Amino acid sequence: MRRFKLFLDFEKEARWLNEMASEGYDLVGKSFGYRFRKSKPDNANIKIDYRLFKKQADFVDYYTLFEDSGWEHLAGTKSSGAQYFKKVSKDADEDIFSDIDSKAGRYKRLSQMYLSLAISYLPILVALVTTKAIHVEAFFNPKQLYFTPGLWDKAGADFWGAFLFETPFAFFRGFAWTAFPIMIALCLIFSYKAEQRYQKIKKS
Amino acid sequence: MKRDKHIPLTETVYYILLSLLEPAHGYLILQKVEELSYGQVRMAAGTLYGAIENLLKLKFIQPVESGDSRRKVYKITEMGKEILRLDLERMQHMIGITEESFKRGGIS
Repeated sequence: MRRFKLFLDFEKEARWLNEMASEGYDLVGKSFGYRFRKSKPDNANIKIDYRLFKKQADFVDYYTLFEDSGWEHLAGTKSSGAQYFKKVSKDADEDIFSDIDSKAGRYKRLSQMYLSLAISYLPILVALVTTKAIHVEAFFNPKQLYFTPGLWDKAGADFWGAFLFETPFAFFRGFAWTAFPIMIALCLIFSYKAEQRYQKIKKS
Repeated sequence: MKRDKHIPLTETVYYILLSLLEPAHGYLILQKVEELSYGQVRMAAGTLYGAIENLLKLKFIQPVESGDSRRKVYKITEMGKEILRLDLERMQHMIGITEESFKRGGIS
């Protein structure tokens, strides 16, 4: 089973995953959404860390430390960021963090990731603006986005047929670029929210 | 003399450095820290990983070759030993001065 959800709060996300486990859905992977496997309901203790790795060996060393300590690595890859662990040993502690700083630190890394993502979209936006690929006038005069010759002189079914056929193309021509500023804005908002959470946990 | 800005070390950092006088991988560090502190300091995996990363950056510890392909092994550096010694001296001074003051004040 696949589920799509977006969390900016690791505690909330872990709570949801524990609920899913109590209904018998075990997390087996997260790439394009969360992947679950049906099994028997289980009182799981799932915790989430956020880390990116440059080398595969660093990643293996990282999750091996958790597995040695009684936490099974459920999901996450070298460059996925979020790393999901489930407590499997009775002797393990109840959390994967033992101090406030490290518990907060994952929000700092999440915030930095969103910020660098926002920055990496910027050159694309700049390129679109400087190459005049963006038609701001199209907001006020969408007619110029239709290229069918004599479209506006047609009438009745003839007009509607041609108009509706071209509308999806015109829409992309005119507004596809808005995806970039929207992405940048979202990334900046997420980065800000993660930073806020970091500050809040550090102060607690 | 100006005091090193990393002094005083936190309790966890002190025990990690102390446990790395001998080479050890992550989980072994966790066990040694618990042992050295008589069970007073129990570190979790996520916290230790961050601490190791930080100590590597400060060059207080360094990775060493090992036969284990899954687990990295670390050892304290000369700089790490020096900082450990400085913190020991700081604590020795505190202990000495406290015992003296207690004796003078009749506190046992």
